[in-house]
Amino acid sequence: MTSPPSPPGGGAAGSRDDGAVWHRLHPLSPVIRAGRQFVTIAIAVLVLFVANQHHADNDLVIDLIVLGVVLVGGVISWLVTRWQVAGGVLRIDTGLLRRESRRFPLSQVQAIDVIQTGLARVLGLAEIRLRMAGAGASEGRLACLPRAEAEQLRERLLSMSRAPGLAAAGTPAARPGTGSAAGGSAPPGRATRQDAAPQGAAPQGTAGQSATGQQAGAGAQASERQLFRVRAGRLAASIAASRAGAFAAIVIGAMAAVVATTGKPGILASFLPFGLGIVLAVWRQFNGEYGTVIAAAPDGLRLRSGLVETTAETIRPGRVQAVRLVQPLVWRAFGWCRLEVDVAGPRQRRENKSESQRLRAVIPVGSLAEADQLLGELLTARPAPTRRAPAGARWKAPLTYHFLGWDGDDRYVVASRGRVCRKTTWVPLEKVQSFRWVQGPVQRRLGLASVHLDVAGKRVAASIEDRGAAEARDILGRLPALARAARSRG
Amino acid sequence: MAVAEPGRAGRVDDEGITWQRPSSRLLRARRIEAGLVTGLVMLAAGLIGGLAGSAALGLGIALVLLGAGLVSERFLARRVAAWGYAERDEDLIVRRGVLIRRQSVIPYGRMQFIDVTAGPIERSLGLATLQMHTAAAASDARIPGLDKAQAAVLRDQLATLGEAQAAGL
Repeated sequence: MTSPPSPPGGGAAGSRDDGAVWHRLHPLSPVIRAGRQFVTIAIAVLVLFVANQHHADNDLVIDLIVLGVVLVGGVISWLVTRWQVAGGVLRIDTGLLRRESRRFPLSQVQAIDVIQTGLARVLGLAEIRLRMAGAGASEGRLACLPRAEAEQLRERLLSMSRAPGLAAAGTPAARPGTGSAAGGSAPPGRATRQDAAPQGAAPQGTAGQSATGQQAGAGAQASERQLFRVRAGRLAASIAASRAGAFAAIVIGAMAAVVATTGKPGILASFLPFGLGIVLAVWRQFNGEYGTVIAAAPDGLRLRSGLVETTAETIRPGRVQAVRLVQPLVWRAFGWCRLEVDVAGPRQRRENKSESQRLRAVIPVGSLAEADQLLGELLTARPAPTRRAPAGARWKAPLTYHFLGWDGDDRYVVASRGRVCRKTTWVPLEKVQSFRWVQGPVQRRLGLASVHLDVAGKRVAASIEDRGAAEARDILGRLPALARAARSRG
Repeated sequence: MAVAEPGRAGRVDDEGITWQRPSSRLLRARRIEAGLVTGLVMLAAGLIGGLAGSAALGLGIALVLLGAGLVSERFLARRVAAWGYAERDEDLIVRRGVLIRRQSVIPYGRMQFIDVTAGPIERSLGLATLQMHTAAAASDARIPGLDKAQAAVLRDQLATLGEAQAAGL
């Protein structure tokens, strides 16, 4: 099994061939994979060098050895990895000692991302990630392919995943039979898609500015309709006005003050990694959300963002589990807000723990009018949380009472809460997994109860907090039937 | 859709839901668990107190803990009595809790998989705990203290219903 039938160069011409051919990843993939390590090591070396200028040599050798091991591991991993698309299933075989063959039924795909790290952009490569519903391990990665090919493959996988009868409801009807039928019917659509795909996309990798790259990509994909584009200045300001930004400013200010008063920068050496971590977190947010562009396309909502590392995601219609509008206190003064969507499946950046509470931002920062417009694209109806909580809730939630409210129609339920940071969550009834009615001791004394609507994943629940007991009973009695009707309507 | 072999006497509440109750042996299982935990903590804390301080101190600590165990026993009965579940046509309702009361509604079509587990104490009393999982991590639908045979019947029933009404994510 260690010698794949496809020649090593097969990856380049890959997507034009019949689906059953095995493909390789790009030969430069190990470099990209080691890239993250490389940057980390470079920073570590720098810090060590600054901190103790004499003993750095020894560590440098160790770091180089680590880098070498990572590179060799990457090359071996590249040698034994191959993939194919056949019968509506993406299959990835990998592993040297422990062979692993993973199959991803395309009808079950929640979203497909194209990700380019900074190094990958210089080399014109990109990584494809398939997000499936389910726990952390259920993520398909193809790293890396030439950028143009990655775009084409994404289009192709998406078109296959939308094959008639499969994608509409996202039913678990991914039987092998229907899957292969979908694969068989795909070629005509695939061919036209490839003609329409941007041929001039590859040189973008060398273009330093992501904005121009995204512009070119957007221009080439004529079927897109741009809905939103984040303003860089506003993004920077909004991050500065957020908790992370304020924290970073305080820490940096404190460090500067210490240096200014003592006149000895050496004191800070031990705090340097700490400060670096804070700056990195802020930078990562800015980098990740810079130049966010949302466009509506036939295959779903397209998100592109990133300054150095760019990400292109496609969220398929009907895969949105929840939409959340976040309005932090300071942002409200400027009339800004943040709009997030929840898609089933693991978060794409697992290493970033602080961000795991957060959903994918379709609008990192924008005006309420922009959010309202995009909400109209995401949801067919937009009930507003106009039903206020009963007066008794004031005693249980004196602060959040101000924003507590909910409403719902036969498709969506909306609930809002929070005082400092107002959060309004829309949940499509057809996506609700379970309903929970909860009454704590204080609530019982006040004659209140809460109802939570859980959707897939562990991050979001629309919480209808602190309603009158009778109303909560009524909600719990009525909503399951409404949800059932919404599900059967599809 | 009633359970083929109902648990304890069903009780109809004011909303017309007929609640099925866990087996009466659940209380016994909980009592044994509480007794074991109390005994072990008593022994450990009493020994530490007795060795570090005086024998009287160790004895005092042990007696206080015994009192705490007895008090908690008073609440066990209410907690066990609070458990209940009802099978409706399209969904399952589970309720529990005394201080914080909860009630979950899980549509059969949303069920991803079902667990039936039994710890050593439960097993010795012929009991099992049934838990349903949906794609949402927050859903909690656990029914403890079912008779082993009843748990198996319920599991098969739920699985059949889940398959018949399955809906995509």
